[in-house]
Amino acid sequence: MNLKIAIVGCGKIADAHVEEIRKIPSAQLCAVCDLEPIMAEQLSSRYAVPHWYSDVTRMLDEEKPDVLHITTPPQSHLALAQQAVAAGCHVFIEKPVAPCQSDVKEIIAAADAAGRKLAVNYWPNFEAPALELRRLHETGVLGSPVHLESFLGYDLSGEYGTALRRDPSHWVHRLPGKLFQNVLDHILNKIVPFLGEEEPNVEAIAYRGRASEAASAQLLDELRVIIRNSRVSAYATFSSSARPIGHHLRVYGTKNTAHVDFAARTIVLERRQPFPSALGRLVPPFLTAKDHLIQGIRNVSSFSHARFHYFDGMRQLLSEFYLCVQRGSPPPIAYTEILRVSAIMDRIFQQVYPEVRA
Amino acid sequence: MNILVTGAGGFLGVRVVERLLAHGCVDIRCFLRERGKAESLLRLSESYPNAHLELCYGDLRSKGDCARAVENASLIFHLAAGLKGSPAEMFADSVVVTRNLLEALEERDSIALQRTRVVLVSSFGVYGVVPLGRGARVDEQTPLEKHAELRDTYSHSKLSQEQLTRDFQEKDGFELVILRPGVIYGPGGGAFSVRVGLQIGPVFFHLGGRNLLPLSYVVNCAEAIVLAGINPNSAGQVYNVHDDNLPTAKRYLREYRRHVKRIRTVRLPYFATRMLAWSLEAYHRRSQGQLPAIITRYKAAAAWGGNSFDNSKLHALGWRQLVSTPDALAETFAYLRGKETME
Repeated sequence: MNLKIAIVGCGKIADAHVEEIRKIPSAQLCAVCDLEPIMAEQLSSRYAVPHWYSDVTRMLDEEKPDVLHITTPPQSHLALAQQAVAAGCHVFIEKPVAPCQSDVKEIIAAADAAGRKLAVNYWPNFEAPALELRRLHETGVLGSPVHLESFLGYDLSGEYGTALRRDPSHWVHRLPGKLFQNVLDHILNKIVPFLGEEEPNVEAIAYRGRASEAASAQLLDELRVIIRNSRVSAYATFSSSARPIGHHLRVYGTKNTAHVDFAARTIVLERRQPFPSALGRLVPPFLTAKDHLIQGIRNVSSFSHARFHYFDGMRQLLSEFYLCVQRGSPPPIAYTEILRVSAIMDRIFQQVYPEVRA
Repeated sequence: MNILVTGAGGFLGVRVVERLLAHGCVDIRCFLRERGKAESLLRLSESYPNAHLELCYGDLRSKGDCARAVENASLIFHLAAGLKGSPAEMFADSVVVTRNLLEALEERDSIALQRTRVVLVSSFGVYGVVPLGRGARVDEQTPLEKHAELRDTYSHSKLSQEQLTRDFQEKDGFELVILRPGVIYGPGGGAFSVRVGLQIGPVFFHLGGRNLLPLSYVVNCAEAIVLAGINPNSAGQVYNVHDDNLPTAKRYLREYRRHVKRIRTVRLPYFATRMLAWSLEAYHRRSQGQLPAIITRYKAAAAWGGNSFDNSKLHALGWRQLVSTPDALAETFAYLRGKETME
């Protein structure tokens, strides 16, 4: 039986949710909702969604969706998630899950208490190269993780950046971690699965970089974080000045090192090579080139099979989430990972914006 | 008369304020979102020392800011609109802000409300030209678009904005004047309307062919808006706004290449554009949106269907083109050439 899906929050990211939901045969988007009726109506009109609402209570009562996607600003996620699970819905939440970890805990507790499932839109982690990295890690190809470098670039002049630069009352500015909080999930959620159970130390610095100065924006837009426990260390970097705008992860293992480029959708394995002397310096570029060639061919194949959309990771994540709802199996993202990500974020923002915490 | 101009810091807004001053209006509140866009207005203020130009900063998405904007204003030129960004942003910046503004007006008593005039700057994009067939003449009687969702987001949002404003007018009884400009151009604006063609990578696809371009030079457009706004007989009227002696898309592109920059162009005749649109639509559908359907048959018919245009109603109002089309093109190309040189 098809799952009935509804969305609350009809802003920019809701378009991506609608498009990916429509690609999943087992899902049927029945309604969208926004406090602002004009926004709900426009989304419904553009995508021919059967019903739209400006009152989420009414939508939940009348539509009785199986899954509610929450794509509102994060400050409202806790209340909406509690309401949704109380109404019997499973919830799929846009990142960041909530402004602070205590809210995240409450959301998870509410879902657990109601026997409902929960997932967060960590979509890049469900793209093919990220899934391959997970396989390499789980099968021991990388060995034990030693160090990670997670990097995300940002365009302050882009669609999202412009929106928040122009609008001083934008909800992003009201988050404890401001701009960083809206993107940091995508940096930290790649590191956390490699950290193990041990609580890490977190040291963060942030400053206003060249891009922010050039755009006359009064916001911090460069962030550097060092995360370390007794076995693994990681650098998390956010930059709005570095070009090209990158999105990548490098995992140094005791056996091999993997480099995932999320923008180009490639994963390259840097192996210990067995050749002696000068041969050992001649061969590796060809091995790397071979990996890139294979990745390129895979991407062309994905494209030809219409599996190369920008948000293909979201489609994959949603498919797994809907399946877990239908089968009652564990959710695709462990709640412990979501909690650890939010805990590290809290500690970063305590250092970067101490006045907000105070 | 207290005048409010929303979007006053924009490409068109500054010229509207300038024409209001030229027509002797002395009490103008200029509402703008970004302080960085106030420079031209401050220069205007210096040129008209007897006028009172109030710069009012805010965001029309905020109801409180809307209340500040409309306070004591009896003539409202509503130019603010979403021109780019995501569909959600364009609807928020065109439709939501208009609703907020009109709701702010409802706070005044009914007599004051009925004495208020709203001048809405809409767009040619609201016309439903597709069913009319190739070559149809577009005037104020042309039916409105019935399938806005099939058009570009800008046209969709402008149609929603206009319908919403009409609904408020029927309910509240204020005077409403609607202007529908064609392609507004001039120094400070862009180089190409989609009616000329599309830049894809290094190549400009010339799709407009010999179609007339409904150009409206920004100064001439501002003059039309101001004339319609201050003329007591224009209440309840709609005016199409474009210049006389319109060039074809082909001529515009030729002149651009001669005076601004040699660009690589590929000319696609209309039937080829339709075929390309059909292919893109089919691929978009089959691949579930892997590549965007930037051209569809519907959009192609709306943009490159080869309409002719009529501005006689605007002329009957007393509008005369302040800058001739050849001079306007020359000024625009000089600006674009300077911009290219700077880059």
